[in-house]
Amino acid sequence: MTSTQAAPRGVDGVAPAGTSPTDAARTPSPALKALGYLGRKLGLFALTLWAAVTVNFLLPRLMPGTPADAALSKLAQNGPVSEATKAAIEAQLGVPTGNIASQYVAYLHQVVTLDFGISYTFYPQSVGELVSAALPYTLVLVGLVTVIAFVLGTLLGVLAAWKRGTWLDSVPTLVGSFLSAFPYFWTALLLLFFAGYVLRLFPTSGAYGPTATPNFSVEFLGDALYHGVLPALTILITSLGGWILGMRNTMISTLGDDYVTFAEANGLKPRTIALRYAARNAILPNLTSFGLALGGVVGGSILVEQVFGYPGIGYLLFNAVVNQDYPLMQALFLMITVSVLIANFLVDILYGVLDPRTRR
Amino acid sequence: MTPAPTTPAPAANSTLLEVHDLSVHYGYGQTATRAVQNVSFRLAHGEFVGLVGESGSGKSTLGFALTGLSKPPAHIEKGRILFGGTDIASLDAEQLREQRHGGIAMVLQSGMNALNPVRSIRNHFVDIFRAHGHVERSQWAARATELICKVELTPQVLDRFPGELSGGMRQRVSIALALSLEPELMVFDEPTTALDVLVQHAVMNTIIELQKRENFTAILISHDLGIVLESAQRVMVMHEGRIVEDAPARQILENPQAPYTRMLLSHYADPRAEVVELPGFADRQQRTANGAARADGATHAPTVSPRTRRTDQPSMIVQNVSKVYPAPRRGEAPVRAVDDVSFTLEPGSALALVGASGSGKSTIAKLITAVEKPTSGRIRFGDLDVGTLNRRHFRRLHRDVQMVFQDPYSALNPLHTVEYALTRPVINFTGLHGTEARRRVLELLDIVGLNPVEEFAAKLPHQLSGGQRQRVVIARALASDPQVIIADEPVSMLDVSLRAGVLALLEDLREQWGVSLLYITHDLLSARVVTDNIMVLNGGAVVERGNTADVLRNPQDDYTIRLLDAIPNPRKDVA
Repeated sequence: MTSTQAAPRGVDGVAPAGTSPTDAARTPSPALKALGYLGRKLGLFALTLWAAVTVNFLLPRLMPGTPADAALSKLAQNGPVSEATKAAIEAQLGVPTGNIASQYVAYLHQVVTLDFGISYTFYPQSVGELVSAALPYTLVLVGLVTVIAFVLGTLLGVLAAWKRGTWLDSVPTLVGSFLSAFPYFWTALLLLFFAGYVLRLFPTSGAYGPTATPNFSVEFLGDALYHGVLPALTILITSLGGWILGMRNTMISTLGDDYVTFAEANGLKPRTIALRYAARNAILPNLTSFGLALGGVVGGSILVEQVFGYPGIGYLLFNAVVNQDYPLMQALFLMITVSVLIANFLVDILYGVLDPRTRR
Repeated sequence: MTPAPTTPAPAANSTLLEVHDLSVHYGYGQTATRAVQNVSFRLAHGEFVGLVGESGSGKSTLGFALTGLSKPPAHIEKGRILFGGTDIASLDAEQLREQRHGGIAMVLQSGMNALNPVRSIRNHFVDIFRAHGHVERSQWAARATELICKVELTPQVLDRFPGELSGGMRQRVSIALALSLEPELMVFDEPTTALDVLVQHAVMNTIIELQKRENFTAILISHDLGIVLESAQRVMVMHEGRIVEDAPARQILENPQAPYTRMLLSHYADPRAEVVELPGFADRQQRTANGAARADGATHAPTVSPRTRRTDQPSMIVQNVSKVYPAPRRGEAPVRAVDDVSFTLEPGSALALVGASGSGKSTIAKLITAVEKPTSGRIRFGDLDVGTLNRRHFRRLHRDVQMVFQDPYSALNPLHTVEYALTRPVINFTGLHGTEARRRVLELLDIVGLNPVEEFAAKLPHQLSGGQRQRVVIARALASDPQVIIADEPVSMLDVSLRAGVLALLEDLREQWGVSLLYITHDLLSARVVTDNIMVLNGGAVVERGNTADVLRNPQDDYTIRLLDAIPNPRKDVA
């Protein structure tokens, strides 16, 4: 049959100038728009990264004194310090030379070449070596578990919201909120005691057995996995509930939205409505929390790694702080900042993919 | 359109839908809200029926029950809905889902939000095709294009996301989606309520056209008797859950039986008529000629005299004012919201500012209240230069210039009592405290006709009706004893029967207190009854101005004529 092509553009009369979306010539192609969005986000990322690196440079310099002064004043409590000792300590800890601009240039150069100096605590190992040895454990353990917890929790949340009022809703919601009320270390201790000490199912500390050497052999990876079970479980148990509840609540609100009612009125299949209409929109606000959680992967694992003696970043950071290991601390703080920035960047990109409204 | 494959072509006048003694309740037992009570009616194939009622009449609840979309706590208490001989309520979820193809489709009230914001328009169609399998995969694109053209949109719309479309376009898309189900019965629930006047008119025309061409049966649910009478052949009037009148449109118009229908009808008039009277309002020109006050009824004489003598208060003078907003996105032109507008609001006068959305009406209100600064031009009020006023002098301006907002539901803080809402401005602007402030608050409530005042003072916003809330908002605006009141669409959110009361109140304030009124609206009828002068805005510029009655009766500008034509006019056919 014939279709009305007449007056296609101005049908609704008063679309204000400049906002008429049917005007194809004025809006760039989707690919160009996506590229523009990516470019803007990348630019913003580079800018914040530079700012973070600079703040990391400035902060210690805003504090009065140097690490050498601190060490010397400590020594001075036990009697006068000789000139030789003073020179030795200053040589060991380093005293800033040159003006602040040249220091800044040297610092930037070091950051770019990942040269963060020698650790005091683990002398003579360099900070770079220490961090690169610890990073994989944290990234794999905490990072992977965070992602798994998010995916699993979100799925359970979707199910709970869709089957609201049934056992599929009440059980995960109740158990989830119960478990997430436990503090990290308490769950860790319980797991250690029962699964590690009483039942002897899993090792109680370390990332691998005392006889293993880190490499990519099947045995080592299996051993590492075996050692990772308890810390991973701890993180999973304590964070899962939050994801379930968050997703369930946002999805219950999207289920009440008009587009869901309209989809029902149009007789779409329940699965389509649940996943592509309700869940798809409900997940958007949760992505922000996911970004925060991802950003916390590197810095937020101190307790778990400490309890399980797991040689990751958190463990390293704890030791650095306890031993006033300035080079190590500075490198770790920078890494934590950068990882938060990267996580935010990734979530921004994810938003761009999932929500057309952000791609403007 | 491919003919609905399930049923053979029905004979004319055969029954499509039969509702028998239907009651829909919210909740159970004694405390249940009886939204729909003992409703019975028949619908023949091809009929276009209007269902009219004010908010809370149960019309939407009935619409949702008919389409099988009632959600707990709403439930069918008793009665049957027979569609093609089958009781809708007896179907299980999957059967109900399947019958939506070739069955009953619905277009929702807030069509603005009826589309999934993260899905392209094309995918909305694909979802429906996939769910019912009634269109071959190879035909999907062609069918979607055909449908989108039926509602007078271009095929490019298919590749857009809902957020990129205007409200009217989204509602058209909703209609196209409902059409894609090849329905026998279409239920339109307030399909144009949230839309701008001109858009509303265009979308309604599309619906009427489609109904004739596609020959589906339609129920149009609306609070606006004008719209319904203009489009439907038969009208059912609903009041407090019951259908109080069910008759052909012409009969409703010429010989309404139910008192409620008569009341609704009395609130409609043609703003172009020589004499315009609404309940509580005699014709304005006759009134001013005779020097007489209002005809009857809604008159509420304020018992309190104004605190300020307004004999020689200043005028609000707007001179060549423009407001340009920077371009929303790079590469686009800046938005000229107000374009070289000049007018003077004399003490005690009433000026209507009329135009469709985006015409700059509300921006002018913002400029006058110094919420925004003009890009060029001057606004003077007495010795105040409003355009360049800095924050420290805001209080002086706002003591004299107050606003009444469009949405009484969001203009009051839900956590505070009426007394609190009114006490704040009384303390801030008049310096009264304690019992004096309280006495003033009660005075204000009396002025706006909320009696008994003590009782209303203690209420929270949610305990008030829309009309009562708007009265509180007006009382709040009066708290500072202002000389100018800017009313931005003060009655557009209210039921027709409540509108006249609020308008009469504004009129009282002007006549008896000498408050001048800037009345911003798209509703030309109300502009006719409350204002002396009118300015018609289009694209930020004044296209026509003059005496309200003269301009409306004898419009010169094309845009004014279009605005007038867009008003639903039930008497169009009769005249």
